[in-house]
Amino acid sequence: MKILVPLKRVADPDNANKVKIPASGATIETTGLEWKPNPFDEYALEAALRLTEDGKAPKVRAGEVVVVTFGPKETETTLRAALATGADRAIRVDAADDKLDGHLVARALKALVEREKPDLVLMGKQAVDGDSNQVGQILAEQLDYPMATFAATMKEEAGGLLVGREVDGGVITLRVKFPAVVTVDLRIVAPTSVYSMKTAPAFKYNDGVRFAALPAIMAAKKKPLAEVKLADLAADQGLRVTYHGFQAPPARKAGIKVKDVTDLVNRLKNEAKAL
Amino acid sequence: MSTQAQNRYKADLREIRFLLFEQFKLGSLLGQAPFDSWGTDEVNMVLDQAYKFVCDVLGPLNQSGDREGCRLENGQVHEPSGFKGAWDALYEAQYKTIATDPAHGGQGAPHMLQVITEEMITGANTAFSMYPGLAYGAAEVIQQFGTAAQKDRYLHAMMFGKYGGTMCLTEPHAGSDVGSSRSVAKKIGDGKYKITGTKIFISAGDHTMAENIVHLVLARVEGAPAGTKGLSLFIVPKFRVNDDGTVGARNDVNVGSIEHKMGINGSATCVLNFGENDDCIGELVGTTENMGMSQMFLLMNGARISVGVQGVAVASFAYLNALEYAKDRKQGAPMTSWKDPTVPRVAIIEHADVRRMLLEMKSKVEGIRALVMKLACHQDNVRFYRGKDDEKVAYHQGQVDLLVPLVKAYGSDQAFRVCELAIQTYGGAGYIKDYPVEQAARDAKVFSIYEGTNHIQAMDLVGRKLGQHGGKNLQAFVSDVATFVAQNDKHPVLGAAIKELGGAQEALAGMAMRLLMWFQTGRIALVPLAANRFLEMMSETAVAWLLLDGARIAVDALAALPAGEESARERAFYEGKKHAALFFARNVLPNVKKSAEILALEDQSPLDMPTDGFATV
Ligand SMILES: Cc1cc2nc3c(=O)[nH]c(=O)nc-3n(C[C@H](O)[C@H](O)[C@H](O)COP(=O)(O)OP(=O)(O)OC[C@H]3O[C@@H](n4cnc5c(N)ncnc54)[C@H](O)[C@@H]3O)c2cc1C
Repeated sequence: MKILVPLKRVADPDNANKVKIPASGATIETTGLEWKPNPFDEYALEAALRLTEDGKAPKVRAGEVVVVTFGPKETETTLRAALATGADRAIRVDAADDKLDGHLVARALKALVEREKPDLVLMGKQAVDGDSNQVGQILAEQLDYPMATFAATMKEEAGGLLVGREVDGGVITLRVKFPAVVTVDLRIVAPTSVYSMKTAPAFKYNDGVRFAALPAIMAAKKKPLAEVKLADLAADQGLRVTYHGFQAPPARKAGIKVKDVTDLVNRLKNEAKAL
Repeated sequence: MSTQAQNRYKADLREIRFLLFEQFKLGSLLGQAPFDSWGTDEVNMVLDQAYKFVCDVLGPLNQSGDREGCRLENGQVHEPSGFKGAWDALYEAQYKTIATDPAHGGQGAPHMLQVITEEMITGANTAFSMYPGLAYGAAEVIQQFGTAAQKDRYLHAMMFGKYGGTMCLTEPHAGSDVGSSRSVAKKIGDGKYKITGTKIFISAGDHTMAENIVHLVLARVEGAPAGTKGLSLFIVPKFRVNDDGTVGARNDVNVGSIEHKMGINGSATCVLNFGENDDCIGELVGTTENMGMSQMFLLMNGARISVGVQGVAVASFAYLNALEYAKDRKQGAPMTSWKDPTVPRVAIIEHADVRRMLLEMKSKVEGIRALVMKLACHQDNVRFYRGKDDEKVAYHQGQVDLLVPLVKAYGSDQAFRVCELAIQTYGGAGYIKDYPVEQAARDAKVFSIYEGTNHIQAMDLVGRKLGQHGGKNLQAFVSDVATFVAQNDKHPVLGAAIKELGGAQEALAGMAMRLLMWFQTGRIALVPLAANRFLEMMSETAVAWLLLDGARIAVDALAALPAGEESARERAFYEGKKHAALFFARNVLPNVKKSAEILALEDQSPLDMPTDGFATV
């Protein structure tokens, strides 16, 4: 099986208060930010690795995982980390962070999918910076591929996957035929969430994503990492989303004590305009 | 991911990268033998991945391991829940063998990187780190001194988590005084001995994480001389190992009890009884008897550095948590309007005294980390110049030897003090178990005690290290500081502080002469009274030097930064380096001269004091 996993780096969500907006409000200041791979993308990578190995120790690769990211040279750090974790090959689409939106990324990914011809595009359900939750859906639409979002479980079948999707109030199971686009949710990295046809039914993975072992970190540099120009993938680099300005959320004001319920209702109505 | 338990560990990776690349110029060693396979990218990736690993795997077990502690049931010690999974994950990731010779399956990384990965492992979970730490230390002894067969049998298993390991020196009557050991080895031929004796306080003495545990036991072969020179070192496995490498029958090694301690409660500290049934079989490490102490010293050198690293690790943990709390906790009004009850309350980090505590913690944590890094840098240079330049090897090895007691003792003494300051910074919350700093203080206290108490370290410094190679090592150290002072004492920002360093260095050199004079004029009784203070003087001089050297780099970097919002973060970082150095130079470094003045008084009151005079009880 060949799987394409798009990865995005995001400003470290644990240090969100370090994200600064200059007085002009024209951009978000990104220099000096600590970057991390988007957690949902890491889950997608873990799921992809599980689908392409036989699950036994020592883990034997039985398929190919190609990771791709969009961004400047520094984003290769994210790709190298993915290679160290087990991905076989990486592609960086050279682009400036602020010249991208979900639609453009999806269009470029479409061209890449047509080149790479993976059986499956496996991606995070959303990136935790913008929380847009749209690239997977747009990509599937553009490719006219079957799609399953918010996957919590995946079981490989001949020519496709049985996907358990997280929905309000439970899990719904969909059968998708390859080639397909699947976006994953947090529970995809539970010990029994992903089974390839080679994995023994009783096999349990460690909970969570795997860690890069030291020898793999040392070997990551020797794995192929290709650079592709955005223009080669998307002739039209127009953006659907334009930003007019950035503003930090207003600091929370101190609360007040209300006299009684009438006072509360009045204030909700007249001051907060919530009723 | 199973994060019911929270990770509280954090590291300042920017500061670590500064030390590695800007101050200690790791880049200049990379890519060349013996570090050929290491480049900047690899180092950076290891920092990121190791940090992620310890936060996800080890950190969440730190508090739970402390609460749960260890249990002894039917002669078997059980470590806290989750430790076994962490053990497996650590060995799968292979961080323990990062600096190990590739010939033994390691990655041959520079020690400068290793001390950082060790700091992360220990900082995230000190108690856990004891188990792999001792296994690795014991493996190193076998690597260095074991026979080919012993290496075959034990080395790989101990380096890669299949077997654990311990170092068994301490006995009820032999603590600091190792030479009083009463454990006995009776030769039974074929390099094998029957061991009898009781060892106490043995860290990682038993657990269920590995399928076997290799105890390295100091004991006296029957008829060997008294004292340390009659001690030999033995490999005593928990389960005997068959010739084909499989684990065989149980050896006669039994856990008598486990200690209930102030801290590192997740680390099993065991009483081990060897040969209760006269059936404890051990084999001599190597082939020569009575070499035990010098062999153990190899382990102890590494272990002493590790204890210093433990100190920085826990101090850094406490500092960064206190910093976070200080930015969050609102209390009181700004000094300028302290009487006005209507002004908004400020975060406590706005208060001058809280800032003082934070800066003291920062300067000590970063200063001691720099001292550890300097030691590691000398170790790396020894490896780099070996076989190429004997003089350089001798110089760097000399500095390693000299700095080991400083790193161990100053690093551990200050770690406890930093933890105490962190508790003070929190206020009442710091004393409460919901917050992580009280555990840090409890965990840190033992660092000044084990691996040779800090007084033993101080005596090692003044009694052995100062005179080593005819005093050459100390002279080289003092002259390195003097050169730095001469080159920088007109620095526009740091000049005054660097002059203070010059004064400290002279006071230190003067005090070293005075110690020598005491030795020569039969006033040796004064030496132990001065030893701890001398070690502190030398450590503070070294730390101030390294902090000021870092500040010099920071000041240059500040001048080169472009103006504007874009570089605000970098500017703040370098300003932080500068102010930490200035704070230390102005508030701590003057102690060095003061200490020299105090020691010049040659006070002997502790000796003049009649023992019955301490109290009438
Ligand atoms: C949690 C923990 C883990 C440990 N792990 C291990 C381990 O894995 N393996 C192992 O072998 N040991 C271990 N130890 C033992 C440790 O190394 C000893 O406790 C230490 O060496 C001190 O010995 P002692 O406790 O007998 O104290 P003592 O030697 O009795 O010392 C008591 C005091 O007297 C001072 N003193 C002693 N002798 C002198 C002297 N000659 N001159 C001046 N002052 C002196 C000491 O500095 C100290 O202040 C551990 C201890 C603890 C608490």
